[in-house]
Amino acid sequence: MQLDATNRTPAVSVSSTGIEMKGECYPEDITAFAEPVMQALRNQLESVESFQVRIELYYFNSSSAKFLFDFFEELEEAAEVGKQISIDWCYRTDDSSMQEAGEDFEEDFEHAQYQLVEI
Amino acid sequence: MQSQDFHKLLEQRRTFFCYSGLLSEDVLSTFSGIVREQMSEMEDDAEITKRVFGIFVEQAQNVIRYSKDRIAEGGTGTVAISRADEGFLIEAINPMDKEHAEGLQQNLAELKAMDSKELRKAYKQRLREGPPEGSKGAGLGFIEMARKADRFEFDFVGSNELLFVFKVWIKEP
Repeated sequence: MQLDATNRTPAVSVSSTGIEMKGECYPEDITAFAEPVMQALRNQLESVESFQVRIELYYFNSSSAKFLFDFFEELEEAAEVGKQISIDWCYRTDDSSMQEAGEDFEEDFEHAQYQLVEI
Repeated sequence: MQSQDFHKLLEQRRTFFCYSGLLSEDVLSTFSGIVREQMSEMEDDAEITKRVFGIFVEQAQNVIRYSKDRIAEGGTGTVAISRADEGFLIEAINPMDKEHAEGLQQNLAELKAMDSKELRKAYKQRLREGPPEGSKGAGLGFIEMARKADRFEFDFVGSNELLFVFKVWIKEP
């Protein structure tokens, strides 16, 4: 699955090795954006043993925070049943909003590997 | 009020962005670029620009979702951004049902009493529990604004026709 970035949604690319999300995230319709991404994620997680996730967001709104939470929960559950899940939360140097947002999610992971990556 | 007085009023209160009328997601898309451009011309600190923009989006989406006056895909209200002492003021005003106002007033009073640790906890709890009944989003908007704000104030003005006023201040470091 490949989604091009728009002004309000990130570029998303899903493959059998992982998922990448890059850009702005405050969709006009959060459900219309989130559902296909969640579905693609679930489909991939069913058939893989390891999965690499790279998130590079510059801004997301509060509706998208809920999407990200659900997205990460799916990954943590996959890790809990033994899959190798690695997540890089990338933030630009000096972007303290996105650094803090990344730290907010950190405590939700116990089984998946979650790293904050300064870029 | 004379047109020129309206113009002067906006100048006096240092309001550099003001929109009143139908707000929809399409309208918000159109404003996003303008607000960011205005902010980055005025403000060198990208972090402040980002915080002001983030508050603006949450404020606009609240009007879109919860204004009592519905039109097509949105609601009517006013959103404005002004220069304030040592920073910026982001305001939203929209009509609201009395019924809706009571719950919101209590909710906002609780948020106002919280420190940053408690706000973070409330935010995480809301993420885990999902949106409350009647929410059209994630139910996180006000908590998010309370976390990002240096200060916020709210008011419910009027008796029959209630106007909800929400003001958020972002300070420059």
